[in-house]
Amino acid sequence: MHLTATFAEPISSSATPFLTVQLNFGNGRNQIPELIEVQVISGTDDGTDLPSDVLEILAISKSERTAEQSASLWRYCAQHASELARDRIELVNLQDRLDVLTKPFSTMVMDVAAKPRETFILQRGDYSRPTDKVQPGTLAVLPPFPADASPDRLGLARWLTTKDHPLTSRVAVNRLWKMLFGAGIVNSMADFGSQGEWPSHPELLDWLAVDFVESGWDTKAVIKKIVLSKTYRQSSVTPPELLERDPNNRLLARGPRFRLPAELIRDSALKISGLLVPRVGGPSVNPYMPGDLWREVSHYGSSPATSQTFVQDHGEKLYRRSLYTYWKRTAPPPNMMAFDAPNREVCTVARGNTTTPLQALVTLNDTQFVEASRAFAQRILLRSEKSDEDRLSWAFQESNARTPSPQEGQILLKALSRERSRYATHRDLAKAYVGVGESSVDATLVVVELAAWSQVAATLLNLSETVTRN
Amino acid sequence: MNRIEQHQQQLQQTQLRRTFLGDATRGLGSIALGSLLFPELSRGQEPKRSVGGIAGLPHFVPKAKRVVCLFQSGGLSHVDLFDDKPMLHEHAGKELPPSIKGTQRLTGMTSGQSTYPVVPPLKTGKKCGVNGTWISDLLPGIQGIADDICLVKSLYTEAINHDPAITFMNTGNQQPGYASMGAWASYGLGTENENLPAFIAMVSQGTGKNPGQPIFSRLWGSGFLPSSHQGVGLRPGANPVLYLSNPPGVESSQRREMLDDLSQLNSLRAAELGDPETLARIHSYEMAYRMQTSVPELTDISKESAATLDAYGAEVLKPGSYAANCLLARRLLERDVRFVQLFHRGWDQHIALGRQLPNQCRDIDQPTAALIGDLKQSGMLEDTLVVFATEFGRTVFSQGKMGDPGMGRDHHGRSFTVWLAGGGIRGGMEYGATDDFCYNIADKPVHLRDLHATILHCLGIDHSRFTYKFRGLNTRLTGVEEAHVVKDILV
Repeated sequence: MHLTATFAEPISSSATPFLTVQLNFGNGRNQIPELIEVQVISGTDDGTDLPSDVLEILAISKSERTAEQSASLWRYCAQHASELARDRIELVNLQDRLDVLTKPFSTMVMDVAAKPRETFILQRGDYSRPTDKVQPGTLAVLPPFPADASPDRLGLARWLTTKDHPLTSRVAVNRLWKMLFGAGIVNSMADFGSQGEWPSHPELLDWLAVDFVESGWDTKAVIKKIVLSKTYRQSSVTPPELLERDPNNRLLARGPRFRLPAELIRDSALKISGLLVPRVGGPSVNPYMPGDLWREVSHYGSSPATSQTFVQDHGEKLYRRSLYTYWKRTAPPPNMMAFDAPNREVCTVARGNTTTPLQALVTLNDTQFVEASRAFAQRILLRSEKSDEDRLSWAFQESNARTPSPQEGQILLKALSRERSRYATHRDLAKAYVGVGESSVDATLVVVELAAWSQVAATLLNLSETVTRN
Repeated sequence: MNRIEQHQQQLQQTQLRRTFLGDATRGLGSIALGSLLFPELSRGQEPKRSVGGIAGLPHFVPKAKRVVCLFQSGGLSHVDLFDDKPMLHEHAGKELPPSIKGTQRLTGMTSGQSTYPVVPPLKTGKKCGVNGTWISDLLPGIQGIADDICLVKSLYTEAINHDPAITFMNTGNQQPGYASMGAWASYGLGTENENLPAFIAMVSQGTGKNPGQPIFSRLWGSGFLPSSHQGVGLRPGANPVLYLSNPPGVESSQRREMLDDLSQLNSLRAAELGDPETLARIHSYEMAYRMQTSVPELTDISKESAATLDAYGAEVLKPGSYAANCLLARRLLERDVRFVQLFHRGWDQHIALGRQLPNQCRDIDQPTAALIGDLKQSGMLEDTLVVFATEFGRTVFSQGKMGDPGMGRDHHGRSFTVWLAGGGIRGGMEYGATDDFCYNIADKPVHLRDLHATILHCLGIDHSRFTYKFRGLNTRLTGVEEAHVVKDILV
């Protein structure tokens, strides 16, 4: 047997002196080839890639083909024509979706061994030197374990949610508070103990915690209560005097302001661009990722099934919320890691919130964000607004929830006309830019216009205000 | 300390942790960009200042300003390469005496073996340098730099498997979640070149065992430290730093104009809102733009002399090879990157030691020696600490049947060899010793936390006073147990 693979575009051996060939065998079965030979041939491949049976049918004139022959030609076309690639991807993704909705799937549930494992204190942590046997239990300073609860995870859950437990509800509402205000009422999120930070507003924390329990642990209700509060709805404008008196806004005399977390930065760019697929549930997805990061750290680089080699998804799977992005813990998605996403090897209660050059490189150059700028531009151009001013005003509103000031409008309109004339003289560049990403480009749009507006859109997506919760 | 003082201290620390941005908000953003972009122009004119870092560091005048760690991932065999003993030859093929083997745990790969025959080093070696340090003939290049390096032959670790062992060596803890050595250095000392990350990691694949043991981004991660201190991977090919290149259809001049617009828009808004964070973001975009210039300039080795390239060997022209990474390491160090770490995979010789080990050695020998020579020639070796390390050594007994070409050696954390050179280290010496069978430590044990303490010491840091509050504990790279600087190997 032999297989000839031809590169779609010529490869220069001086620019790419090394090529990696990966052969995946078996397809789930135990088949291993005995002898493999890889030969590299240079030159132009002028042969056809059509199989012999298709060639045979093509040799017959159209009118003389049987219905079956025509059908097999169409079948081949459906499976291989590049014009239909997008449809094939959509079909596969829809089938995937259908399976999620209609087929049973397994999920992790709790189980208790018939004979639970015994646990010991280990001498200096060495598993080969057990000492005293230990039993499940809770701290003496906290409320007693319910007498009728079993000493397992269900019992732990019941104990944690007893009405008079002093920690659970406070810790929970404190985390929701942090999500919305950037800092908790108790700022040491993971430490409510004697070494933790004192709450800035102890009565408020108590009240929210009690209210949370009384609402039946209704998370949505707490969030609603907080975001409708006067405190949350304050402007985040910071007069120098307030900055001086309370630099970290612990006393909440102004509205919160902090950079969005990693996932929300990607999600909001997808939302603004109109690319977001807001569907709930289903298996994880592999959106764009540069390089060959998985193989670099993996052991026996083998099949996609063992996540040793990254295989990118296509179609709608590129645009789902970041929550669904597959996470390989030894090599997590770099565009998330740049924005302080934890690597998920250990629990992280409070993420960092840094500002680094790598973040700028992600939102300026990552395929996901470049494509989002083009899709946003496409949305802008397909609106009913026709003048540059009106379009810009709408776009600004869409990305920043406010209209631009005259000065801002002026800067952006100047940028638009600059990019217009640049791309008008360099149409190849315009074409290259709008070609980034796999989503379709509206054929009715003028490429130069689209590319010029994409630059404005990219500027909007990169504004500090766009990635910041104000 | 009362609660108010404690609170104030916490607040202060929070602000200090803001490395990049903290300074930007206080006007350092306006520091002459030219000197940042071309540090060599200002070299020798005025003392360079660090950006970021924490107050009070270094604790004392450092001997080393930067570190390069040549990490041999998988477990390099001290028995074959650095630790020959007459007894290994006398006892070749005979059972390792039970008194030596003891009752320590072995990995599941050899714990079931019925015999543990002693295997002498794979190749002969010779006594090198003024000190007469034995180094295997598999490493002729490193033989040649014997007078520059200090072999620590009594290092030990508690871990016996790769994941915990390599995590221990790189982060000071066997459990994931702790900060790597380079991240600590970046956090503590900041950077002297804002155009490049303070901590850069490069991975290469060995030819001995391909692919080698898996590695993990946590080995150069920031753990509990702010993520701005995580090691940035430098990679072969057109995009040495991920997302560095402008997208297709965007030219550099065009990007400049866009960044000017962005900067104007952000400044307008910052003034209106009174938001210092926005100024930090403007600064970060400028740094990103400068990285787009400084990184390609860094990775362009076309101006290196033929003699230099020859010294590193033919592989230096192969992007992503250990040799290429060694040359890049020198270029990074020249540009004052604080911590450079190479990971060379493939040192896990469980099987086919005779075939795999020479290949692994060939990968690293010449480039390692060339890097030391290069640093020495430019005078940089004086204030650059070189650490040649691995996660553990290998057993003196065979894994598999003695004499079988498939024979190898298992993991051995109880004693192994690493070497150091450069800033603050006495060259041409050996420190500590194993027993006659290279199995247990006979003299001057060095735990890997002592190695960490010593590395920090060379950087002017007292490891016991260099802490970060994490999970209620003032966490140190050296952990909670006592660690000692190995003073005898210092200049």
